[in-house]
Amino acid sequence: MINIFDGATGTILQAQGILKTGMCPELLNLQESAAIIKMHKDYITAGSTVIETNTFGASSIKLAHYNLSDKVREINLAAVKNARSAADGKAKIAGSMGPTGRFIEPLGDISFDEVYNVYFTQASILAEGGVDYLLIETCIDLQEMRAALLACKAAAPQIPVICQMSYSEDGRTVTGTDAQTAAITLEAMGASIIGANCSTGPEQLIPIVKTLAQNCRCPISVQPNAGMPHLVDGKTIFPMSPADMGKWAPKLIEAGATFIGGCCGTTPQHIAAVKEAVTGLSIPARTAPSAHLALTSRSKTIFVGSDLPTRLIGERINPTGRKKLGAEIKNGSFLSVKKEAVEQTNAGADILDVNMGVAGIDQVAAMEKAIREVSQIVATPLAIDTSDPASLEAGLKAYPGRALINSVSAEPDRLKYFLPLAKKYGAAILCLPLSDKGLPKTAAARIEILHTIINEAKKHGLKDSDFMLDGLVMTIAADKTAALEVLQALKLYRSEFGYPATMGLSNISFGLPNRPLINSTFFAMCLAAGLDAPIMNPYDESMKNSLLASAAIIGKDPSGQHYSLIYSSQSQENTLPVNTPADTNDIIAAIKHCIITGEKENVAAMVETALKDGHSSNEITEDALTAAMNDVGKSFAAKKIFLPQVMLSAEAMREAFLKIKEVLPAQAVTSKGTVVIATVKGDIHDLGKNIVSALLENNGFNLIDLGKDVDAEEIVRAALENNADIVGLCSLMTTTISQIDDVIAALKKAGSKAQVIVGGAVLTQEYADSAGADAYAQDGVIAVKLAKALLKIS
Amino acid sequence: MPIYNAPLGSIDPKETRRYAGLSIADFDENTIRQACNDMLYIANPRGSWNLYNYDNTTGTVLSEKPFKIYGTKILKHLSHCEKVIILAVTIGDEVEKIIEQSFQDGSYVYALLLDAAATTAVEQAADNLEKNIEPRVASMGYKRIWRFSPGYGDWDINCQPEMLSLSAARAINITCTSSMMLSPRKSVTAIIGLVPKTDEFSPQKPSCSTCSQIDCPSRLK
Repeated sequence: MINIFDGATGTILQAQGILKTGMCPELLNLQESAAIIKMHKDYITAGSTVIETNTFGASSIKLAHYNLSDKVREINLAAVKNARSAADGKAKIAGSMGPTGRFIEPLGDISFDEVYNVYFTQASILAEGGVDYLLIETCIDLQEMRAALLACKAAAPQIPVICQMSYSEDGRTVTGTDAQTAAITLEAMGASIIGANCSTGPEQLIPIVKTLAQNCRCPISVQPNAGMPHLVDGKTIFPMSPADMGKWAPKLIEAGATFIGGCCGTTPQHIAAVKEAVTGLSIPARTAPSAHLALTSRSKTIFVGSDLPTRLIGERINPTGRKKLGAEIKNGSFLSVKKEAVEQTNAGADILDVNMGVAGIDQVAAMEKAIREVSQIVATPLAIDTSDPASLEAGLKAYPGRALINSVSAEPDRLKYFLPLAKKYGAAILCLPLSDKGLPKTAAARIEILHTIINEAKKHGLKDSDFMLDGLVMTIAADKTAALEVLQALKLYRSEFGYPATMGLSNISFGLPNRPLINSTFFAMCLAAGLDAPIMNPYDESMKNSLLASAAIIGKDPSGQHYSLIYSSQSQENTLPVNTPADTNDIIAAIKHCIITGEKENVAAMVETALKDGHSSNEITEDALTAAMNDVGKSFAAKKIFLPQVMLSAEAMREAFLKIKEVLPAQAVTSKGTVVIATVKGDIHDLGKNIVSALLENNGFNLIDLGKDVDAEEIVRAALENNADIVGLCSLMTTTISQIDDVIAALKKAGSKAQVIVGGAVLTQEYADSAGADAYAQDGVIAVKLAKALLKIS
Repeated sequence: MPIYNAPLGSIDPKETRRYAGLSIADFDENTIRQACNDMLYIANPRGSWNLYNYDNTTGTVLSEKPFKIYGTKILKHLSHCEKVIILAVTIGDEVEKIIEQSFQDGSYVYALLLDAAATTAVEQAADNLEKNIEPRVASMGYKRIWRFSPGYGDWDINCQPEMLSLSAARAINITCTSSMMLSPRKSVTAIIGLVPKTDEFSPQKPSCSTCSQIDCPSRLK
């Protein structure tokens, strides 16, 4: 049956002159109930079978804009009453709930629980009033939709919930969620009807409806705008006529929608046209969605299955056995956690396991924070790895997608606490064949335990596409049949259940030498036996190579095409000529070449050789290092090379100097002079100053870097105390440039003999002259040249 | 006071190259990509914005306490606008600590590239915030023109305190020093003019070719 929604509310009330600019539309439920009832009746007359209450903005957050947050109950109840009075049994009533207008942390500044409570309150009142559906609409953030859906299900478990998101023309919500991801995530969480409304017209919503229909079994709803709006005489106009809207309606039904209506700019005439166009249409049969297990993030869906490529579950976000990572998490820093997330994803991980098992910390808070931080920077779906139900719930709540729970064993507490959470948050579960009776030694024992877990999970409402099975790897050093039982188990998992298989592999080689060899060999065997999603270190080259080769062997990489692509390009790379210094017989020339090309990896060894061969530190410094930097300076001035390349040479210089100091600590390289350098008071920019410091230091000057935002007094004191030959001053902004004058005056007054070089974005030669500076340096290379010139160094 | 902390997704290596002054240089792509990658986990992008009516006859943002704009280029830029969005974005101060540490460790190139990647990141954060606001702008029948920041053209940076206040940037921890510098350093404020969609007015993006800083290393050829 095709259900017909109503159209716009605001458009109608504005056209009638009842809703004026600045008024709260929902307050009209109380003040103008007759007009609201008439509007509902007009839609029912036009053909609507489901009408929406005028409560889109009747949440406490939205009503607060009009100082009406104390009227949430009154307004929502009146709205349902108006709708019921109009429907009179001829139409169903959907309680409309729009977005709060705020984003949930970390995208925004409001908490998940706060948003949940806002929806819970409104949904409870709408349910009390007697709505037939709860309708969450125009949502642009999957996380807000998740909070709203959970709230509706808790407030009124018996009332079906319609979840409609708004998609832009690129097919995603503005926070990046695509229709496939929304369909999978929301169906798993128990949405009754899934759809799209607003943002665009009917034409743009056809592909969205198709994608939604292909990825879930729920009925699909759609409520397009009357085209894309424009302004006419200061008024927002939606241009699509009722007749045009009617023309698109059958195409939306064809795409899979069975609930159809209108959003902004649509009127009873539009609804009548839609009704007429779809009356008598047969509803096309839907194709069943993929039977594979699907995991989602906010913006990505990944399927796992035996006929799909192997999916890598990255295991690195786990402080077990990693003291530094554990200490960092304990100190509240998640920088390394985020780094692992980005780098594992770049290394090919399809799913990231997140474990916060650090002793002595608040694991619930740590899990929530880790999930938030990681899901904000990578689109890779996550597995929440914990044995603590409270941490699990914190992670599931914070995760804007469908996560994998790692793991559910047959231990009574796990079944009791983890399965309801999996159902509530729509997560998939990794089933671990462990029970309170101990470790299963054989494949058959594993199967038996898994049956227990799966039967129990199904009682909680989980489905076939919610399970991943763990092979449970044990060490071969302790039991010679351990590996064989795992291989047998993987085969049986496929034939007995057909669910994807996973496991961590490295336990297999515990206690043996050359563990990587055992691990990668066993990995290849497991892939052949039916391992679909290994939990592993994605940086491990031997494992990745084994995966590449195995995929070609077992037919997951047909004809080894991908394998050929990787290895043929690698062999080509190997034949490329290696960059060698110009003349390795002349070590001084070779060092100079190294500095110019910035090969810092090679330069230390060369300096060591040169010193051993009897070249003096002075010869190396002058004929190789300084000479090289002079050439680099000339190339820079001629715009043949650019700043980062100059800095690359400076890094090589630094390595060379460090080596000379290391080999000949007593024979320190003679300083070319002392430079005190600072960014002036009030200026917090120091990149330019840091560059000049680095270049001066690596050209043999003794550097005293005072940092940024430095007082004139401190600069003067440092210049006098260190008997500075040069003072370097930097100012980037017009607002701090006068500090240059002040410092120079203070230096003169204090009797400093230092010569002053100034620089920075807003400085000019004229300004430098008027301030009494000895020189103006446009860039770091010129600063070095000027410093040498001022001190008469060749 | 809408807050939207748009995820970065990825950092554009081409822009990073440009900000590092390497547009036309032969420089190892992997080193640039590394800085872009690292920026992803170092950055903590945050954004805030507000919508105001704008009086284009007097160049005044009609906020509770009206904010008059001075500067010929910016006023010309906003001459057809009926509304404006004032926004602020930052990527936080973690990056500054890491750049500082890298200089101390002698990793000058990495520090330089990280700084360029950070500049790219903050501009991308502003782009993402704009993208997020777009449906709201479109639903009102308006289109956006290029965002414009204090300090460009002759729009003085002395208006930063007003820009921060109107964009509600305090909520995302951006402050301004007495010398009008934003802190964290990698932060920007900007104004986006909204023009009725039916208006043909479409000012050219302030580009390198029209900028007076002809020696700028980031200048596009």
